[in-house]
Order: sequence, then structure tokens, then C-alpha cells
Amino acid sequence: MAKGTCICFISLFLLMGSRAVSQDTVTIPLHFRAGFDVSGPVLHLLNDDLNSYGVLASLDFNQAISLNAGLRYTTFSSVEYNYNFSSRGASIVIGADYNFMKPKTAQGKYYAGIGLRYGLSFYSQEASDIKYTNKWGEGLSSMPLSHHTGHFLEITPGVRVELFKGVTIGWNVYMRLLISAGAGKDLNPIWMPGFGDASSRMNTGAEYYVSFSIPYKKIKVIIKPKRVEEDEEGIEGTEGTEGTETTTMTPQSTPGGRR
Amino acid sequence: METLRPISVASIIMTVVLLLSSCGEQACYDKTDPMMNAFLLESGTGVIFKANSIVVTGTTATDTIEFVNTTAVSSFSLPLDPGNDVSTFYIVLDGITDTAVIYYTRRPHLVSAECGYTIVSELTGLKTTHNIIDTLIIENKSVTLNGERNLHLFY
Repeated sequence: MAKGTCICFISLFLLMGSRAVSQDTVTIPLHFRAGFDVSGPVLHLLNDDLNSYGVLASLDFNQAISLNAGLRYTTFSSVEYNYNFSSRGASIVIGADYNFMKPKTAQGKYYAGIGLRYGLSFYSQEASDIKYTNKWGEGLSSMPLSHHTGHFLEITPGVRVELFKGVTIGWNVYMRLLISAGAGKDLNPIWMPGFGDASSRMNTGAEYYVSFSIPYKKIKVIIKPKRVEEDEEGIEGTEGTEGTETTTMTPQSTPGGRR
Repeated sequence: METLRPISVASIIMTVVLLLSSCGEQACYDKTDPMMNAFLLESGTGVIFKANSIVVTGTTATDTIEFVNTTAVSSFSLPLDPGNDVSTFYIVLDGITDTAVIYYTRRPHLVSAECGYTIVSELTGLKTTHNIIDTLIIENKSVTLNGERNLHLFY
């Protein structure tokens, strides 16, 4: 009885072993990146009212996910026929990006994915002259200098490529959702540093950035072909399933390992 | 390089679209005038009542401004003086005149970057004569852009 059970288990292991195929791996360098936003200075050339300077840093967590943080300083002033407004302040964003590209294609150099970030804005605003006119005539008002903290979420689909070794360029489209401007329901800022026009709960735009990257680690990503039986079925059925890959990541310590 | 090509094309399209969109001047399409909305009700029953005719004018130290001149209505809307904390109205209801004095506080309210600010008010009190008006009460103190029902006029 015991012998029979033993043979049964061994046979099972052998059967499982017969399904395994040789593993294919790809080595991906993980990077630390630090860079700056170039869209702020470019937009200043088109719009004198806005001065915005941003720096950002990101750290690859694995072949798909990178953690990032950004710091931005913004000044904005606007003189219109019915108001004068100015705001200034610093904002920080923290979040993560997910790369949709396959490790074999991305090779640690290319990124096409989406990011989710949480933003905090520390700003001051002032409207020295507010005019409102109706049938009665003109009403004058003002908003004295006040300090506030705003919160927002940012969704950032974008792309990034390694232009030269160690130099990366990329852009993000951003969709910012205002959680709170922190200035009360009546006096949301016309421009909240880090967020943009806070009279609307959603803002869209884009950021272009240049960053310098340093590889800090290499990992091997295992690319497993589909099981033999399934592959055979796939070949019999359609050829389209041939490229389907399952990736798993096995960290492999290679200190200072540059490719 | 094959990976770079679609990314480069997408980047160029994005740049052109954003540059074009950032150059456009935006116009103001939002509502910017907060109105105080008053409803006419039958005294005693509280049922909404249509007046045959109504004329409402506002008075300043130097001028009289007509805001409403219409027939067969059960409600009307009036702007408040954005330069003062009090507005005085002459209400001619079915040919009989009453005076209503409305007291309020004012505060600026951002409409949008394109439209700028408006001035919204919080009603604090009122006085009225009683030639045809039985009672004038504040139903909702906030005179904003949301179109609240602010006053109930019983006659």
C-alpha cells in the first residue's frame, strides 16, 4: 500500500515536471531618476502671468512600478477688467507610475503607462481689486492676502524614453481632481499652485520633463512561455496566442551592475 | 528604435495640441448675477398665487431702476445693490404700491477665471409696508447663483 502511494506521488511529480519548460529571463536595470519640468519655463514664454518651476524624482520599485515625488514652485498674477488676482506657493506630489510595456520591450529604458499621485499645495492668494456690476451699478470688493493648504489627486498617463545613456525625456498628460482648495466655498483660487485653475474641480494639461537616471540595481525578470499542452492547443487553434507571456520577477543582487 | 517611433509621433501631436489650446482666449459663459427670488402666495392659505400685474423698481439716492414689469406671474427675481448693504424696492402689486427694504451682508464669490468674481449676499432682515402685502418673510437667506427661493410674499 505504502509502495503504491509512493509510486503515485513520484508519478505525479514526474507528470508536473514534464510540463515545465526552460525559463527565459530578461535583465532589467532599475533606475533612480532626478529631473526638471521644461513645460513651466516654455509656458512662461506664452503666458507672462504664470511662472512655474518643477523638479521631480522617481525610483523604480520593480520592472513595472516606480515611486515618484515632485516639488513645484509657482507664482501667478492676472489683471483683468474686473479683478486683480495673484497667488504664489509650493506644491508637492507623491505617487507611483505603472508601466504597461512588457519588460522585454521596455528594457528599463522605455515607459508608457499611467501614474496616480496625491498633491498638496501650500499657497497664498490675494485679490486687491474686485469689481462687479449689475443694474444697480458697481460693487467693489477685495480679498486680503490669505494662506491656505489645498489637496488634489493627479492621474498622469504618459511616456518616457532614454534618449542617451543616463538622460531620459518624457511627457505626461495630467488630469487633476481638486479635493479641497482650503479657501472656503466662495474664494477658491483662480490659480492654485501645483493644481491650476481651482474654479473648476478638474484640470487637464501636460508636463514635459528631462531627467538624469542612475541604475542602482539589476533584476532578472522570468518570462515563462505558456505550458506545453496549452501551446500546442494554441498552435492548433490560433497563432495569436503565441506572444502571450507571464512574467514573474526574481530580484538578483548585482551591486553596481551596469549593462 | 521601433519603440521610439510611436512615442515620438504621440509626443509631437501632444505638443501641437497643447500649444494651440494654450493660445486661445477664453470667454465667460457662466451665470454671474445672483438674484433674490420671491414667490407670491395667497394670504391665509399659503397657496402660490398669480398676480395680475407687478412692477418692481429699486431706488437709490439719485435714481430709480425698473427691475420687473410683467403680468400674470407668481414669482419674480431681483438683484441686490452690490455697492450697499441695503436695497429699497417699490413693489406695485395689482396697482397697489408697497415699499420693501432688504438688509444683507455681501461677500465676493469666484465664478471662474474667465468671468471673475461676483458678489453674493446673505439676507439679514427686511421691512415692508402693508398696503397690499400681508407678510414678507425670508425663506432662504442665501442669495447666490444657485437660484434659491429667498422670499415668500403673502398678499
